[in-house]
Amino acid sequence: MGFLNQLWRRLSGHSGIPIPQAIGAIQLRDIPILAIDLELTSLDPQTAKVLSIGWVSGKGNTVDLSSCYYQVIRAKGDLAQSPVIHGLTDEEVRQGTHVQQSVEAMQTYIGSHIWLFHNTSLDIGVLNQVATNLGIYVPAIVTLDTLKLAVYELKKQQQVLPPNSATLSVCRDRLNLPAAPAHNALDDALATLTLWFAQQQKLDPHGKLHVKDLQHTGAIEVISLGKPPQNAT
Amino acid sequence: MEVRIYSDLFLIQRSDVGDLLSDNQNSAAKRQGATMTAIPQQVFDFLHSSAPFDQLCDNDLSPLAKTANLVYIAPNNAKELLAANKGCLYLIQSGQFSVKDSDGPERHLSDGDYFGINSIIDGVDYAIDITVDSAGLVFCLARDAVLNAMENPKIAAFFNSAKTDALQNKAVEDSNSMWLYKPLSEVISRAPIQADTSTSIHAAAKLMAEENVSSLLLTEDNQLTGIVTDRDMRNRVVAVARDLNDSIATVMTAEPAKITHNRTLFDALSVMSERNIHHLPVVDRISQQPVGMITASDIVRHQRGNVLFVIGELSKAQNLYELTRASWQIPHYFSIHAKRPGDFDIAGKVLSQATDIMTRKLIAFFQQKHGHAPMGYCWIVYGSQAREDQTMGSDQDNALLLAHRPNEQEAEYFTQMSEYVCQGLNKCGIKLCPGNIMASNPELRLSLDDAIEEAQKWVKQPTPKAIMHFNIFLDARAAAGDVELFKRLQEARAPLLKQKMFLAALARHANEVDVPLSMFQKFVFEKGREIKDSIDLKVNAVAIINNLVRLYALESGLKMPSTLGRLDNLPEESGLSQRDAANLRDIWLFMNRLRWRHQLTQSVTDNCVSISELSSIEKHQLKAAFKAIDRAQQAAVMKFAGGMG
Repeated sequence: MGFLNQLWRRLSGHSGIPIPQAIGAIQLRDIPILAIDLELTSLDPQTAKVLSIGWVSGKGNTVDLSSCYYQVIRAKGDLAQSPVIHGLTDEEVRQGTHVQQSVEAMQTYIGSHIWLFHNTSLDIGVLNQVATNLGIYVPAIVTLDTLKLAVYELKKQQQVLPPNSATLSVCRDRLNLPAAPAHNALDDALATLTLWFAQQQKLDPHGKLHVKDLQHTGAIEVISLGKPPQNAT
Repeated sequence: MEVRIYSDLFLIQRSDVGDLLSDNQNSAAKRQGATMTAIPQQVFDFLHSSAPFDQLCDNDLSPLAKTANLVYIAPNNAKELLAANKGCLYLIQSGQFSVKDSDGPERHLSDGDYFGINSIIDGVDYAIDITVDSAGLVFCLARDAVLNAMENPKIAAFFNSAKTDALQNKAVEDSNSMWLYKPLSEVISRAPIQADTSTSIHAAAKLMAEENVSSLLLTEDNQLTGIVTDRDMRNRVVAVARDLNDSIATVMTAEPAKITHNRTLFDALSVMSERNIHHLPVVDRISQQPVGMITASDIVRHQRGNVLFVIGELSKAQNLYELTRASWQIPHYFSIHAKRPGDFDIAGKVLSQATDIMTRKLIAFFQQKHGHAPMGYCWIVYGSQAREDQTMGSDQDNALLLAHRPNEQEAEYFTQMSEYVCQGLNKCGIKLCPGNIMASNPELRLSLDDAIEEAQKWVKQPTPKAIMHFNIFLDARAAAGDVELFKRLQEARAPLLKQKMFLAALARHANEVDVPLSMFQKFVFEKGREIKDSIDLKVNAVAIINNLVRLYALESGLKMPSTLGRLDNLPEESGLSQRDAANLRDIWLFMNRLRWRHQLTQSVTDNCVSISELSSIEKHQLKAAFKAIDRAQQAAVMKFAGGMG
């Protein structure tokens, strides 16, 4: 992997890993989705710590509520302003579990599910840091970004997007989804998953598209987590 | 550092995708089983706002939420998703759907509505036809979890009554006057007079005399064991010349009927009439120790004490000042005493009776000063006062009917009298009529002959404008003066008002106002109101029912003005079935309760009830009520106007 290649990927935000054919060929309605949301101490993936993590899985326009997962993560250091936003207190955060437990629970969704985020780059950036710290390497995960999908749809209509036109709640509102309480990881994950269902309905009203058909929107991407072991490359 | 590599992704490429996906999903679920207890807040929030689940706590909701699937139903996937979630109860969170889920007609449903309940209750898989009018989220609640929740009687009652399409305001059946539903704990004024069973007859009688009571409770270890009354003293002691030193236990009624203090006066009254007794001991529900005594005279006193008190004060007033002072107590009286739904049912009646008394008093005050009227007259009231469904915001609607056409001098007398009475009522809190439907308006002081002639005119030319104007005169009642005059007017009017053309015009008029419900059963709010989510229950509900019931009543020649009275007296062949009549009655009472509660709790006099004032179950009831009114409107147009609304 050449240096320039890496640089280009970092700058463009693309990992450059192609979508595995087997996944690309699955119909959108048949692909299992895991919607994930992280609540973070900051918006900078380099320094942000995970405060809590929530996810829920679904497939074919159906949310499996029994798959809901929510965990407060133990974090050290100053929580800055985030307790105000996420409603998590210092105390709750100190009593949380180690991030490793959640990451291990997440493993079971690697390979089987497309990971869905509202703004993939931030959450994946943080997960990448976490994986690196834990010494975990995942070569490829297919991710889907409801924010990029929303922007793709909006740009079809207008060149310059007004500020805040693609926040989770604004996107939901645009597709007539009910308001959901924001800033809880699980609630945001569920809100993201149902947003995807509504977006999918709009993109693919007749249920004919496949995963690979989303490539042109820029919302689907294959990423890796952590650093490859030295001896493996 | 040891690096673990997770690369299941590449396994997929080598194997059959479909199988592996499902395997992976299963194993994912198995491995995680224990930690999966989380339920998103928005799921709780939504279930908590949806009747009847709003009655369950989080703990009871969890099993429902955890076993639920949340599906996004769109036109192309609706069939498939319903098939995948067969037998569920479907609760709509967003979107609009037209659903046929049983023998009933297709229903247009939106957020907060259900379908599929009949399959669960009947244990039969009815086919569900669904048309997606606008895609949205629907909770599929698992059949077993719903059945489990239905072990809660409130939940079961909600769904069972929804199934039979009955109105859910069953409480109407036990509507009654305020005093009857007072809890006994509020009624008992003093600790019971009691003595130990070892007391002698003489000492017991002495105690009763000292305490001035007609009955005595007898206890052992503070537990009620018997009762002795004046009557027992007469029959079992004096009449048989019993030794007064005998123990009271030898003449008492052992193990008497009793009632716990958390019951109501009504319950006490029932026990007393059933057992034919006049004294009923009240005991604490837990400790069973006597806490008081209810006697027949207590009940009579309470019956008088409440409702009649207001009216009594009005009747006692000697001058305008006293009358206005007593009148201004009425709103206070209602806000203190009217708390239960049944209270609101009679509040309108009490207020109308009070207004009648004010009117009679004012006429009497006027006549004390200016002498008796120069001819026979009748003070007629219209609209809500006639129907006896006045609310705090009702204005006065009245007129004078005169025995014959007055000369100038006579006319002057009635001008002054009506001016005095109308202004007096205004001082008593009954607002002047902005439409000038008042006896002080010379056009509303007609002689009997002129009034009959006028009625003939309405019937001959029932233009929409005329109907709107005269609608109010069709509910009329004599409040003071010569009732005979009014009866003669009614006799003469009844056959005129029965005429088909006139009724057809009335029916079309009654159909002009729609219930505020969209096709998808969403509440429709009028624009420009101060409170955005408010509905005028007078204009959009009560008035429509009044109009409809009036139609049937006029056709049947009924003369009473009150809507409930008319419903009760409609003959069987009136075209309104007993079931429909009972339904309209329930709806009318329900609407009336809502607007009375609105006026009393918000301290306002309007009828614009905000939807956010209502509980979730009331919202459902209100929708059901609006739908029923709409059906009744259609039926009336069919019957009276030949379907031409």
